[in-house]
Amino acid sequence: MKKHHISAIIFLALAGAAAIVSGTSFLAMRKPDIIVPGPGVSEVVMLSNWYPQLKGTPGDTEVYILGKGNPGASMLVLGGTHPNEPSGHMAAILLIENAVMTSGTLYVIPRANASGFTHNDPQEGAPQSFTIQTPNGPRVFRYGSRATNPVHQWPDPNVYIHASSGQSLSGSETRNLNRGYPGRENGTLTERVCYGIVQLIQKEKVTITVDLHEASPEYPVINAIVAHPKAMGLASETVLGLEMQDITIGLEPSPVNLRGLTHRELGDFTDTLPVLMETANASQGRLRGRTDEALVLTGKDKWYVKAQKLGRLYVPYDENGHPLEERTGRHLAGITELAFSWTLENPDSALEFTGVPAYAELQEKGLGSFLRPLP
Amino acid sequence: MTIIYLGILAAVLALVLWALVTSKKPSFQAAAAMVIVPLLLRLLLIK
Repeated sequence: MKKHHISAIIFLALAGAAAIVSGTSFLAMRKPDIIVPGPGVSEVVMLSNWYPQLKGTPGDTEVYILGKGNPGASMLVLGGTHPNEPSGHMAAILLIENAVMTSGTLYVIPRANASGFTHNDPQEGAPQSFTIQTPNGPRVFRYGSRATNPVHQWPDPNVYIHASSGQSLSGSETRNLNRGYPGRENGTLTERVCYGIVQLIQKEKVTITVDLHEASPEYPVINAIVAHPKAMGLASETVLGLEMQDITIGLEPSPVNLRGLTHRELGDFTDTLPVLMETANASQGRLRGRTDEALVLTGKDKWYVKAQKLGRLYVPYDENGHPLEERTGRHLAGITELAFSWTLENPDSALEFTGVPAYAELQEKGLGSFLRPLP
Repeated sequence: MTIIYLGILAAVLALVLWALVTSKKPSFQAAAAMVIVPLLLRLLLIK
């Protein structure tokens, strides 16, 4: 055997080993997080229950139903629309593991874009997961991508044209769940997931839909509720209620010319009252420094502190960062206040639950105190 | 379209493998080995 053949075999073996190690790591992301249903969960079904064409696809996802059959109003909570925005995902999980309905029905989809949880955004250096310590041991959760996995939906067009409005966006937005509503029955995988969620809302006559998000601290719409015009009254009362708890939050009307988003299309195409909530997540920001689990969990970043001093941010930012407890707590407080405001105005069609950790309680005890032990 | 894409990918991977095996320059072989990793992961629809 010649010398260069020996070196070729060595390099091939090294390439094979690198492919096996990295491939195993990437494939591990396809294993979903373990969510432990709490005492309030009546039933766990798949989204394909409402839209059978999703069955067996990477877009099919769990729907947790709490208080099934209860009289009263209903609410749908969407976590994980963007899997790189962990406070929405965590708020949905805390609802599933803790909430108990006393009136009305709660539908929770913790992984709205299930495919997005199976990969990371390239070149972002984001962690594949983050770990939360609980009294019963660590719990690990995925940190995914903003968009559907291109392995599941490919290729991206040069320009994404939103089907029902004709709006043009960059091609990669074709895999963004929050640009695909109201969805299409025979569209892309992302559009079909949107269509499935719309089917759920229509068939179950969902009263309120809450879509949980995070945004970069330099993004103007942050620590805010974005509401469709017909949900503006409910959202206004919610904002007042949150401000009375010293939770500063803005209220933004859903832009008429920004299409495909939950707060616009669900209001236009269904009878639900849609709102979207945003918190400040440094780990998805453009100004961030080192991107690791600690940044996801604490939100501490010296570059954002500097940016704040230069007046470049839309949220207060200091050395304490914005920890995941605070961001998740804001979402849970918003959901609780939405239900309270609805019930106040509609006592005959109440929406009430117990067991959801309060904002201050979550800061004090930490997320881990409200996560159930793994089976 | 995916089948065509994967076919092109397989052809490129075969050419890179051939280049790695026939080259006499270790630096070229190392570069080819690094190129093989993402091609392989893509061909197997892992990443």
